[in-house]
Amino acid sequence: MEITRANQFSLQRLRTYPISPRLAIAAGLVALFVAVPLVYIFIRALGAEPEAWQRLLQTRIWKLLSNTLLLAAAVTSGALVTGISMAWLTERTDLPGRKIFRWMLAMPLAVPAYIGGIVHLALLRPRGGVIPQFLESLFGQPVPTPSPLGFWGAAFILTLFMYPYVYLLSGAAFRTLHASLEEAARVFGRTPMQTLFQVTLPALRPGLTAGALLVALDILAEYGTVALLRYETFSSAIFVQLSGRYDRSAASILSGILVALSILILWGELRLQGQARFTQMESNWRPAPLVALGKWRIPALLLVLGVVSASLLVPFTVLLIWSIQAFLDPQTMATLFRTGSQGFGSYVWNSLWSSGAAAVIAVMLSLPVALLAVRYPSRFSRFISRLCQVGYAIPGVVIALSLVLLVNRALPFLYATPFVVVIAYVLRHMPQAVRASESALNQLSPSLEEASRTLGRTSLQTLIQVTMPLILPGLLAGGSLVFLTSLKELPATLLLRPAGFDTLAVRVWVWAGEGFYFQAAPAALLLVLVSALPLSFLLRREQIFK
Amino acid sequence: MFSKSKIFITLLALMLIASACGGSAPTAVSEEPAVVQEPAAGVSTEAPAEMMDVSGDLVIYSGRSEPLLQPVIDAFKAQYPNVNVLLKAGSNSELANALIEEKANPQADVFITTELFTIQSLAREGIFASYSPSGVEQLPSEFRGPDNTWTGLTRRARVIMYNKDLVAEDELPTSIFDLTDAKWRGQIAAAGSTNGSMQAQIAAMRQLLGEEATQEWLYGLIANEVTFFGGHTDVRKAVGAGEFKLGLVNHYYFYLQQAEGSNVGIIFPDQGEGQIGLITNATSAAIVKGGKNLTAAQAFLDFLVSPEGQKLFAEQNYEYPLLPGVALREGVQPLDGFRLADVDIAQAALDFDATFDLMERVGLP
Repeated sequence: MEITRANQFSLQRLRTYPISPRLAIAAGLVALFVAVPLVYIFIRALGAEPEAWQRLLQTRIWKLLSNTLLLAAAVTSGALVTGISMAWLTERTDLPGRKIFRWMLAMPLAVPAYIGGIVHLALLRPRGGVIPQFLESLFGQPVPTPSPLGFWGAAFILTLFMYPYVYLLSGAAFRTLHASLEEAARVFGRTPMQTLFQVTLPALRPGLTAGALLVALDILAEYGTVALLRYETFSSAIFVQLSGRYDRSAASILSGILVALSILILWGELRLQGQARFTQMESNWRPAPLVALGKWRIPALLLVLGVVSASLLVPFTVLLIWSIQAFLDPQTMATLFRTGSQGFGSYVWNSLWSSGAAAVIAVMLSLPVALLAVRYPSRFSRFISRLCQVGYAIPGVVIALSLVLLVNRALPFLYATPFVVVIAYVLRHMPQAVRASESALNQLSPSLEEASRTLGRTSLQTLIQVTMPLILPGLLAGGSLVFLTSLKELPATLLLRPAGFDTLAVRVWVWAGEGFYFQAAPAALLLVLVSALPLSFLLRREQIFK
Repeated sequence: MFSKSKIFITLLALMLIASACGGSAPTAVSEEPAVVQEPAAGVSTEAPAEMMDVSGDLVIYSGRSEPLLQPVIDAFKAQYPNVNVLLKAGSNSELANALIEEKANPQADVFITTELFTIQSLAREGIFASYSPSGVEQLPSEFRGPDNTWTGLTRRARVIMYNKDLVAEDELPTSIFDLTDAKWRGQIAAAGSTNGSMQAQIAAMRQLLGEEATQEWLYGLIANEVTFFGGHTDVRKAVGAGEFKLGLVNHYYFYLQQAEGSNVGIIFPDQGEGQIGLITNATSAAIVKGGKNLTAAQAFLDFLVSPEGQKLFAEQNYEYPLLPGVALREGVQPLDGFRLADVDIAQAALDFDATFDLMERVGLP
């Protein structure tokens, strides 16, 4: 989420102190912890009976592969087009209300895509949805409306809730890109449009490609939305396998392939990430002149309003109305506010503490990795840092499958405790913590740490007394990000939760799956609101919201 | 840069929310009996001493969806106020998978399914402890597992429900094979391959008609653009709302939808000469071997088979109780008048894997 800044200090490495073995061991252990589930899934996949491989190769794999890749491609392009155009309109034009729109365009990050999907499905479901039924009563006959089901529906809805990633990246880039680049283009006679496509966007390309690949990884991992909209991808197929036959080899095979695919994409993203330095020297930065939209003002405004409505206002309003209806219905209220482990308070508490614990653990584990990678750059430290980012490439359902099998065999006392859920969150969202910690450390001059060492502090004292306080905001940002994404996590929680341990996300899914939308709404609404808090903290750190 | 105060405010707000919401929750184990639900008619309100003795966590894995099981659990808790029921509901086979995985490290005390093939397969794997709930000898013998490993609870029939506003009486289907008729194209809803009752119907058809005919039927449904939902609640609501003309469901979904005021009808299919008869199945329960709370598990099974428990299933869910002498809910058509399909449960359980193969090959959503 955060734009990687130019690595200002990495060249003046600490030469006085050789690589600390303690640090290297700590970082290595973290990497091992992260890598074990991944390796385990590969072993299970390769160890599956040839018969299972054959059955899947003959029937499912090719269809799933094309389904998954098609959806990833469609959503990624959709997110790029939407994200970049929204960023351009709010950053580079005189669009009315652009300051408010900046916020509203980023806020859909607080709405889990499956919740958005539930709302859009209730509104648009062919024949049964609110809108088709309204149109039918209006015109006295069925009016064909676009269906949110299947490929196009899934692509549309996922684009609505994924574009903010691209929007944030491109918004920051539009903001910080040096005006002189574009001015030069204009001097050489390019029109504003030509400048945009020939100069500005190419300059942003590495960062945007990296952002797009992250969106693609999210799509590979997405379970809730595709299951809801009945479009089968690898993730949902693995889930179906798990609730099908009593044999986990098929699920392991599909998981192995999915992870291999994800790692390919992640590898591309990591390569590009290094080049994502479109932040120029801050010294003589000045804002680029705004493009006057002229007669396009109204259409542009409607376009932005449309995006904001579909991705934020409509879901929020519908959830609010449903929640009110839930509160007005005594029976729903009674089911909602039961006592004990089935009470609403218990879901909220479970959500908060498990995500909070995951955030704290992930940030703590990310520290040795980030320290090693930033302060002692080497082949080894880069390898460790990259390894700790594989969480991006292991979808929730795969982590869950791997942990169920692993923990039950190796750590049976941990099995079926909420801690396994927390471990899954940590593994899955560790990359965000690692990236945030690395970026925070990158901005801290090693000379401060050197001074502390010179004054007789040990390396551990230096870490606790000097480094940590200075990078605390960065760590908090990483923690907030882990917290935010853990709150939304659905497939891993569904599979790993012990009996009696339900989170908000699980309750929304279960209730909505049974068709009890009113009952699901308060939990969904609260989930969105709780996510909005860390999100707005994160957004305030971004260039475009200052 | 950022401002420090903002961070602290955010953190503070988060902590406040956490403490406000968590205030009552972490002590979930101590259930206050003060808020016990209204006990069902015929259930004595005073818990005898031996019922107070049964206590602790009772972990139930249930393939029955939560809303259908909850009233029964509530009534059980009214009798056994010291038992804290922890419920994990999912699909039959998802939980069956978990039970197999946990065989050496059992987590659940009781397993409940919506059909008999899953529980029979697990019984063969040695997952369950033998137990004969009091009164179980009155149940028909085909609804009891080998060595008392499991106990049938209630019976349900696979029926077709229809929207009376959209379908005239004279064009009603009479067989599940009519669902592949092109005149219903795009007008039918059903549950998909992850649903236990649907899986069981396909398994039963495989046994009755053979692989080929069942495969033909499934291809026919797909070609007829049947919409497959994850569960039957969606199906009944969609038929009730007029989104679809027909729905393939368990019989009680029709009654539940009718109770919500929809103008829907029910067809008990395949009653004609040479047709397969009405496909039925049964919900069932078993005690997990090595579970941590055997006393509570046994008390729960006793309750499920008792007249009170059976009456609750009949009253709340419109099901057919297996215990003789328990009345059906008013308006529910008794099964006596129908020709029922005859399925060998043990054999169907053995062939269950082939059923999954079939669904996969056909590509049932």
